[in-house]
Amino acid sequence: MTTASLHGGPEPSARAAVVSAPARPAERMWWQSHSAQRKTFGYTLLAPAALYVLLLVGAPFLFSLWLAVSDANVGDPVAHFVGLENFRAAWEMDTFWIAFRNSVVFLVVAAIFKGLLGTSLAFLLLQNFRGKKLIRGLVVIPFTLPIAISVLSWKWMYDSQFSVINWVLSRAGLIGSYGSESWPVWLGQPHLALAACIAVNVWRTFPFSAIVLLAGFTAIPLEVLDAAKVDGCTFFQRFRHIVTPMIFPILMIGFLFDTVFTLSDLSVVYLLTQGGPANASKILPVLAYQIGIQAGNLGRGAAIALFLVPLLLPALILVLRNIKRREW
Amino acid sequence: MATPRTARQKEVRRHLLVYAGLTPFLVIAVFPIYWMVITAFKQEPDLYRMENIPFWFNMAPTLKNFNILFYQTNYGSWIVNTMTIATWVAIITLLTAVPAGYALARLRLPGAENIGIAIFMTYLVPGIILFLPLSRVVATLGLQDSWWALVLVYPTFTVPFCTWLMMGFFKTVPMEMEEAARVDGCGQLGAFIRVVLPVSVPGVLTAVIFAFTLSMQDFLYGLAFVSPGDQKPVPVGVPTELIRGDVYFWGSLMGAALLVGLPVAILYNFFLDRFIQGITGGVVK
Repeated sequence: MTTASLHGGPEPSARAAVVSAPARPAERMWWQSHSAQRKTFGYTLLAPAALYVLLLVGAPFLFSLWLAVSDANVGDPVAHFVGLENFRAAWEMDTFWIAFRNSVVFLVVAAIFKGLLGTSLAFLLLQNFRGKKLIRGLVVIPFTLPIAISVLSWKWMYDSQFSVINWVLSRAGLIGSYGSESWPVWLGQPHLALAACIAVNVWRTFPFSAIVLLAGFTAIPLEVLDAAKVDGCTFFQRFRHIVTPMIFPILMIGFLFDTVFTLSDLSVVYLLTQGGPANASKILPVLAYQIGIQAGNLGRGAAIALFLVPLLLPALILVLRNIKRREW
Repeated sequence: MATPRTARQKEVRRHLLVYAGLTPFLVIAVFPIYWMVITAFKQEPDLYRMENIPFWFNMAPTLKNFNILFYQTNYGSWIVNTMTIATWVAIITLLTAVPAGYALARLRLPGAENIGIAIFMTYLVPGIILFLPLSRVVATLGLQDSWWALVLVYPTFTVPFCTWLMMGFFKTVPMEMEEAARVDGCGQLGAFIRVVLPVSVPGVLTAVIFAFTLSMQDFLYGLAFVSPGDQKPVPVGVPTELIRGDVYFWGSLMGAALLVGLPVAILYNFFLDRFIQGITGGVVK
């Protein structure tokens, strides 16, 4: 209650409505409208990007769930609900399980090699030496070259007869000459085919692992390490209690990004072997493409692609948690 | 004199060790590219002589492979397609991601951080899950079998990535700039366009580079949506059109791959640190 209202005058708020623009309430209203205006402006700027992502990523993702439970076909625009039929059919397909197993093997084996190569390269690049920029630039080329293009070079290096890899091995006396039993046909022999595809993935992404790790290392302030040294921490202690916790989040993100890209990439296998010989190198993305687009069975293809989700989901959740913990 | 010399010797030895360690990595990384270059300039018979040492020219180098490419294939149109697609993608990305990044970074919108993360997360939804539903979208819009389909779908990964990138970038521009602009009588839009954007040119350029390089990294969408030979972009056209059955013209193939691949790789190379910064959430300064 103000003095004015005690004397029978209107409440300040009511008075503000009657008397035009007394100082304080008007100021608050100006601020409020300013804020509302700012929000409108902000959401307007945000709208195009948000709409694009909603319409062309969000909606298609939901649509793929619908496709997976329908009998959608390339030729037939009308699709009917068939329940879990597509998943059941995939489940009973031998090829599906081969592809599933190959995908997991691909992911794990590639990750081990990338990790080893990437870590050693990162430690080397951490040193100071002449020509570091140039060498770093050369070493990351595999990652920056468009994948479909560099795979061609590998396809030529894996040639059944004129493979340069075999030329070297043969001259070194490790394998026989062309046509002999010990001459490897990289893309034509079941075990070699998958290994050859994994090798290309490792070649392409080990520089990525190294650079991510390097970014993690260089983000650690040297003063912290020096301070720990002064306080009498051993190398191992510094590594265990300072370096590891500081680079761990970055490492996780790099690792998980790589998981997503490796699991969902079809170009290496598709261009090298098409999944052959006899499905030996078939992975889920290639199978989804062959069934969804080449055979035109959109529903079945979508169901197979969605089997990647349970493999990817842990990765996605971890990335989300890591990004959220970040200081902005 | 004795001490500096041993220090110097130590330094030399350290260098030698580092170089020795790096050599295998360099060989592994660069050899496939070297092999492409040398193959592209070799004469056809030179590729198939196993008795020679294959690492250098045994016959005179030739430009014939490039000739074939430009005169007997659609390579010329693929380059034009690639550049046109990338330009459109860059335009769409700029018009959407730059304002969105600004709004999320600067306008204190409620939930801005979560919206930013949500948009960025869509970058992680892999194409292999989206390409079948998107093929329906493309068909409904009548864009199948033309490169316009790719102009439509490539922003699905450039927009999330570049929004995130621009968001990080705009956070580094001092707030005082807009405040000063507002005091000087600029509206909100005016402050953004006339004051903040001009100092953000490096960030905007980075977004353009990524719109270009990321769209050239795609293979799946191009493979799935565009089948006419003259409509393809280079990364899709080269492996699908230049290989017919079992006949490989390795010289032309390598030439075709190189001519577009190397400039992209070099460009991307300069911005690689920004890319890593982007995906690791801006924690790496």
